[in-house]
Order: sequence, then C-alpha cells, then structure tokens
Amino acid sequence: MTALRLQGATARYNDTAVLKEVSLTIPAGQRVALVGRSGAGKTTLLRLLHEQYRETGALIPQDLGLVPTLSVFHNVYMGRLHVHPTWYNMINLVRPLEREVAEVRPWLERLGLGDKLFAPVGELSGGQRQRTAVARALIQGSELVLGDEPVSAVDLPQAHNILGAINDRTRTVVLAMHDVELALSYTDRVIGLQDGTVVVDRTTGSLSAQELAELY
Amino acid sequence: MPRSASLRTSLAFVAIGLACLASADLAITTLHPWRELGRFTWGLVTPSFQEGGTLGLALGKTVAFALLGVAAGSVTGMGLALIYHRRLVRVSAAFVRAVHELFWALLFLQFLGLNAITGLLAIALPYAGIFAKVYAEILEEGDRSAEPALPAGTGKISRFFFARIPEVWSHIRTYTVYRVECGLRTSAVLGFVGLPTLGFYLDSAFLQGDYSRVGALLLLFYVLIALIRVWLRPWLVPLYLALAPLLLGGSLQVSMGNVTRFFTQDIVPLGLRDGFSWEALGSWAGDLLTQQALPGVVSTVVLTQIALVATGALALAAFPLICRHFVGRPEKVVTHIALVVGRSTPEYILAYIFLQLWGPSMLPAIVALALHNGAIIAHLIGRYADALQLGPDTPRNPLVRYGYEVVPRVYNQFLAFLFYRWEIIMRESAILGILGIHTLGFYIDSAIQNLRMDHMVALLLITAFLNLGIDAASRIIRAHLRLRTTPTYEP
Amino acid sequence: MHSIRIALLAGVLLLWAGPVAGQTFAFTAIPDQDVTRLQDRFGKVADYLEEELGVAVRYVPVKSYASAVNAFRNDQVQLAWFGGLSGVRARLLVPGSRAIAQGASDRRFRTYFIANTATKIEPTESFPSGLAGLTFAFGSKGSTSGRLMPEHYIRKHLGPPEEVFQRVGFSGNHSQTIDLVATGAYQAGAVNFKVWQTEQAKGAIDTDRVRVIWKTPPYPDYHWTIRGNLEERFGKGFRREVAQALIGLSDHPEIMESFSRERFVPASNKDYQRILEVGRKIGIIER
Repeated sequence: MTALRLQGATARYNDTAVLKEVSLTIPAGQRVALVGRSGAGKTTLLRLLHEQYRETGALIPQDLGLVPTLSVFHNVYMGRLHVHPTWYNMINLVRPLEREVAEVRPWLERLGLGDKLFAPVGELSGGQRQRTAVARALIQGSELVLGDEPVSAVDLPQAHNILGAINDRTRTVVLAMHDVELALSYTDRVIGLQDGTVVVDRTTGSLSAQELAELY
Repeated sequence: MPRSASLRTSLAFVAIGLACLASADLAITTLHPWRELGRFTWGLVTPSFQEGGTLGLALGKTVAFALLGVAAGSVTGMGLALIYHRRLVRVSAAFVRAVHELFWALLFLQFLGLNAITGLLAIALPYAGIFAKVYAEILEEGDRSAEPALPAGTGKISRFFFARIPEVWSHIRTYTVYRVECGLRTSAVLGFVGLPTLGFYLDSAFLQGDYSRVGALLLLFYVLIALIRVWLRPWLVPLYLALAPLLLGGSLQVSMGNVTRFFTQDIVPLGLRDGFSWEALGSWAGDLLTQQALPGVVSTVVLTQIALVATGALALAAFPLICRHFVGRPEKVVTHIALVVGRSTPEYILAYIFLQLWGPSMLPAIVALALHNGAIIAHLIGRYADALQLGPDTPRNPLVRYGYEVVPRVYNQFLAFLFYRWEIIMRESAILGILGIHTLGFYIDSAIQNLRMDHMVALLLITAFLNLGIDAASRIIRAHLRLRTTPTYEP
Repeated sequence: MHSIRIALLAGVLLLWAGPVAGQTFAFTAIPDQDVTRLQDRFGKVADYLEEELGVAVRYVPVKSYASAVNAFRNDQVQLAWFGGLSGVRARLLVPGSRAIAQGASDRRFRTYFIANTATKIEPTESFPSGLAGLTFAFGSKGSTSGRLMPEHYIRKHLGPPEEVFQRVGFSGNHSQTIDLVATGAYQAGAVNFKVWQTEQAKGAIDTDRVRVIWKTPPYPDYHWTIRGNLEERFGKGFRREVAQALIGLSDHPEIMESFSRERFVPASNKDYQRILEVGRKIGIIER
C-alpha cells in the first residue's frame, strides 16, 4: 500500500451535504485522528475510505457491527473468514477448532477479554463489545485500520490499552475520536472536520489540546 | 377515520356472507344426526388402543413425512429467500403456495404413484414457497450491520452464515417449529388420499363406524401436537431425520416414462391429442368452464365467504373466554384446551367428521372451517387482549366492557388476522370438495376418478389463480385499512 | 448457537436418499369395501401367490378406484383385482394387458337399488320410477356396480342423474352407501349385490330402515387383470402361471369365502365389451 487518497469527496444524506469536496492524502505508515463534533462528517469520511480501500482496510464501525447471538470467539473469528475456505468456516461455526481458538485467544487476552472467549456478545457490556470489535479488526492483520470512535465506551486505562494494541499491530491508522488528549498521544496527524469540510490538518506536534477543543 | 373504515368493510363482508348463506345448501340430511354425534363423542371418551403397533406406525409415519417434508421445504425455502427479490422467484413461490398440499399430493400421485416421494413433495413444495416468503421477510427485518465489518474477500456463504443467520436465528427457529406443527397436520391429512399416515387409518376406522379407534387416533394426534416442544428437541432432529427414511421405506424409484407421459400426453386437452385445432380447444375449454370450473368457483367462493364471517363471529365470541379481563384462571384453562383441540384438528378432518355425522351439505364444511380458523384467531386475539391494560374506570359489567373497551381496541388486529386467513379458508374450501361438497375439489376429484388429467390440471390452475386473486384482494384490503401482521406472529 | 449446528447437520443428512427396492410382483385391488376387510382378504392372496409363483408378492392398498388404475398404469403393480369399468379403463391405458380370471358369479353381476323405508317405495320388478326427485347415493365415482350400471339404467328410464334427483352424492364405497341410505343421509342408492348379501348375512343391515327395491339385469363385473410386459422380469410363461394360480384359488375355500365367490374361472378382454360400450355411451369413458 502506498497512500490513501481522497479527491474531492462529497457525500449527501437526504439532500444535506455531509461531506463537501474533501481531498486528502494519507501516506502509508501515518496515524491520523479525525476530530470534530458529531455530524461533522467523520463517519462518512471513514466510510468513504473503507469503500475505497476495502481490500486492505479493516473497519471498526461506530455501531460495532457485532452479531449478538454469536460468541466472542465467533465474532472475532469473522476477521479471519477471508483467509479460510467456506467449509472450514462452517466447521468453526458449528464447533470452534482448537487452532482457531489459539489464534483468537491472545488478542482477547491483550484486550482483557480472555475470560469471555465463549460468552455470547449479547451478554457483554458496552466496553467489552467495543473491545470485541477491535479484536476482530486487528486479527485481520490489515495494513490499514479504520476506527470509528473505537474507545468511546471504555475507561481511560482500557482506551490506552486498545490504542496501543492498534498501533502495535498496524502501520496506517485512521481513527475518529472525540477525546482530544488521546488523539494527540496516539496519532501523528490530526484532521479536524466541521460541517463537512476540513478546517484543521496539522501534525500532532504542532497542536495543543486547546486549539483542538475549539472544534467541539 | 380508520375505525369506521374497518366497520364499513366488516359490514360489507357480513352482508356478502349473508347473501351467500341464502343461496347455500345447509340441510342436515342424516335422520339421526345427534345420535351419530353421541356415538362419536362416546368413541372419543372410550378410545380403543387395540392394535397399538399399527397406531404407533401410523403416528410414526405421520411424523416422518412431516419432518422430512418440512426439512426439505425449509432448506429449499431458505435458498429461495436469498433470491426472493427476483420477480420470478416471488411469483413461483406464490403459485406453489396457492395450491393446497392435498392437491399437490393428488397431482404427484398421478405420475409418481403411491410413493414416499409423492408425500414428501406434497409437503415440501408448498412449504418451500411459504418458507421462502417468510424467511425472506425475517431476513429483511434482521440487523445487517455486521456485514460491512467483515473482511474483503469473505465468501458469500460464510458471510451469510456468520453475519446474517445468527442474527435472526431465533425467529427462524420459532417459525420453523410452528411449521413442523402445520406439517404434522398436513401429513395426517395426506392419509386420506392413500399415503400411509394417520388419515388413512382414520378414514378406515370411520368407514367401519369404529369410533373408539377414531377416538384413539385423534387423541394420540393431540398428544403428539401438544407435546411437540418436548419431543422436537434440536439435538434430536438429525436423529429423527436419519430414521425417518427408514420408517417410510418402500420404493423411491420414479419412472421417468410415467412422468414424461403425464406431461406430454395425459394433460393435453382430450380433443387436441390427435392434432391441434382452435375449435377443438374452444369446445374443450367451453365445456370445462361452464360445466365444472364455473360451478366449482361459485361454490368455493360461497363457502369461503360464509366460513369467513362464521370464523370471525366465532373468534369474537370465544376470545373473551381465554382473556384475563373476562374470566378467571380455571375457566381459562378449559377454553384454552378447547381452542387447542380446535386448532390442532385439521379443517379437513373436522369437515370429514361433521360430514359423516350430518350428511353432505355446506353446513359441515362451514362449521369445520369456522371451528378451526375461529379457534386460531380467538387464541391470538385472546393473547393480544391479555396484554391490554384497562384503566381503573373500566366498566364493571363484562358485556359493556367487552363492547366498549376491549373489542374496539382489538378490532383492527382481529381484522388483520381474519383477512390473513381469508386465503387459507379459500384453499381449504376448495379442498373440502373432495369430501363431496361441490366446490372445486369435487370437480378435481371427479376429473381424477375419470382419469381426465387434462381437466384436473386445468382445474388446479384455476384454483391456484382464484387463490392468488383472494390473496391480492386481502392484501389490498389490509393495506387500505392499515392492518398489519408480522411474519413470526402469523396465525 | 447449538441449534445452528444441528440445522447444518440435518441439511447434510437430507442429501442421502433411501434404498431402492428389489424385484417384487405387486398387485392391488379397487377399494370397494372396508380397508380392513380388503387387507385381510388380499393379505391371504399375497401369501398364496408368493408360494405358488416363487417370487416376492406384495399387496398395495389404495384409497380410490382411480389410484388402482393409476398404479396399474404406472407399473407400480403388475396385477389388479378390478371392477368391470376400472378393468376396461386400465386395459385401454396399458396396451398388452389382459383380463385373466374372474369369479364365476362375476359373469352375471348385479346392482341393487336400495331405498330408505321412510320413502315408502316398494320393491318392484320394473325400474322404480318413484326415485325421481329423491336424494341418491352412488358408490365410488369409478365403480361399475355403484356408478356405471346404475347410472346407465337411471339415464335410460329417467334421464341424467343430476337432473332427475334432488341431490346426487358419491359415498366412496358400497358399505358406506348402505350406511348412508340406512341413516337417511340419502333416500336411495345403488349398491353392489355381493356386498349387500355379505352384509345381510352378517346381520349388519337394519332391514327396518333400508331395503332393496330393484335389481338390475346381469352384467359382467369383477376380474383379475395383468400387465403384458412381465416375461423378461419374471420369466417365460409368467402370465399363464399367474392365471392358473388365481384359478387355483378355487381350491382354497377360506380365501374364496373372503371374496364371497365360489370359484374363479378364466376370463378374456372381450368378456367386458359390454362395459366398454356402456361407459362410452354414458361418457365416463371418453376414448
């Protein structure tokens, strides 16, 4: 992967433009935070990026996109569906194979979910669900992770844990975030959105928390 | 205002029902109908379980046909549900649904013969159409948010089974179990056309006036249905499905020669077999339409409309008896059992019983249809009314409370269920003709007895289109009155 | 997710089909009476034939006359005990099939017209014209003695049944016709004279409520019909063996008694020419 490029991206929702002529380039290996109020266009921007770079990007959607009736293992295993043949996936749906459990377990342990391996996702707390969705994205081993508020439901130590895990696993990261401090400490570049346009685009080092807070 | 529209529609249907009633033959023709009914009731309370082996085998085969047929229908239906957005699939599914299982059985009997496959197809085919529709609706309403998060390159099948099925699995399971119950009823009724299920033995016992054996067969059937959640355990299903073919046994051979002959010769209109001419086709169609199709359609519609109104009346009268706002627990249990019996007994068997007791006219058919369908709707409305919270100022007089508080609040739901069953009542009205009432089934049966497959197939098509017409009318009325039933809450 | 696993497994199980049966000689019979009585009678016949012919023999019970004809036509059975009409129909549909044996009394079969005593119709020698305007029960729609011949005489003396009678019904079988007329569900009906005699001998008929009012002239009825293509499956001369075995039944009084016949004699297709003609005239047989 060389770089992510969006050229004059525009998106509408019910006749309201939610993204107006956004152009940006994200070089490979860069970690980017998208900040801005809700409705500023972060989710839409991530969606566009995901559509364009489906092949290489793993997505952590805002609604998490988990299947509540399946176990944590199964939900995380979904990140591996593309590397296995269909029959193998079916066997794992019916009866998780030792090999795959061993593959999934370390990720859950890293995210503090080791004891929830076979719990149905529907029975988890919001934070646990969020970590399940993160594990599913990380296990894909993609070069790019697109996260929509991936730490919105966890406490601060867990947030550090999650963001650390993401950064360890992946070179290129684009995360929509609302916690300015976290954004500054885990990313190289901050893109601020307001009403569908880019109003801030600076490297992390050149920004202070106050400056960013104005966006909210 | 929606209520007045509902009321106007109801009154119109009642008026049509009454007009039909005036033209219907309702005579009780047996000299001692009540004595026969007494003997029958006595048989029910003194069931004879002699020849238990035969009874067990009949029950076993009934279950085997039902499970295999429903399983095949369910798998096929799921496949079709995935492509249900295609017009061809929707139309085909609607068509196979519109033909009653018993008619399918009669059709397959003609070229597959008395064969386990005939019974299985007769259940699997129409059920596939039903499953396709309902599964498609369930999938439609399911949450699809997991799909975009799956990695690119995930296969279609993996995607479907991981991201979509688990999400709606409980609905699918509930509905499928409900269909197994329907399948048991269908399977039992298939015995009346010669398959080795419950109906076969019921028919024999009835013809011999052996009411104690009839009683035994019916009681076993009720127990089987009442305990369905006990014996239909998920982990037992594979075992059942593995054992079922052994129980059905017999030859599964199908002669392609017979199939080919049926489709290339037998169903060709008689006058056209030696060469096509428009006149021959015209006279063939003219005779068929005026002498069989038209009288058959008229009787079918007359019976349907009367039965529909009777069903509605019965349901409205019976639902308070299972509703906490009107009766206490003990009474509720009694009515509940009565309603379970009413809805577990297939209309066909009810009609058959009343026909034996009262002689052939529309009366036994109306009573049978109203009892079965009325019991189902009363049950659903009773449950619905139970959920209503009545205020502290609710009238103390139960009649006033019924008329002014409860009925107005359940009425639209009631109409939704009733119109939903309209098409089902029509399907059944047609099939009851086999028992001798002159609806379409009578002419179809006659065509079969006269070995006129050309007539049979033409009449079957007419029956199917009549059903599709009623289905469309029902949908228009429900849409007009803004009535709604959800797929899993279907009566 | 336990049950998803089950469902997947079940899907796999559905894919394998059942076994395929071997070479069996199968026969059926038109269901003109109670099923249990038929089971009893033809069960014995199956055992007897198996011994005589040295091949596996199976009786296939069916629910209607048309099913019997269809099973014969579709080669699901190779031999059948037909009535006059069903036999003629079957032979028209299966070229090469032949009538091979009949009961001695089947050469001169009759239909009894019966009426509920409440109708006050008295037994007569000539056709009872008083039937007009009553309700009338035939037997099965495809029966010779319960439908074809009585309809023939009704048409001859009164006119088309649906115009002559107030209501026309089909009881399904002869035992049932007697019951329906006895209970008054129908005022009159037509019944196979053998069934009437058998039921009467057993004391199963309430003669205060139903009685015979007219007997038709004799006509040919029940007989055994066999398919033509059996030599390669069952060996040379198989048809003759079957015919001989059936006629040999005459030496087994307990089986003959279940048929209410004294003996079986040879039969041929042309014995039933009369039935074919009547069938065509009435329009039941259309080609």
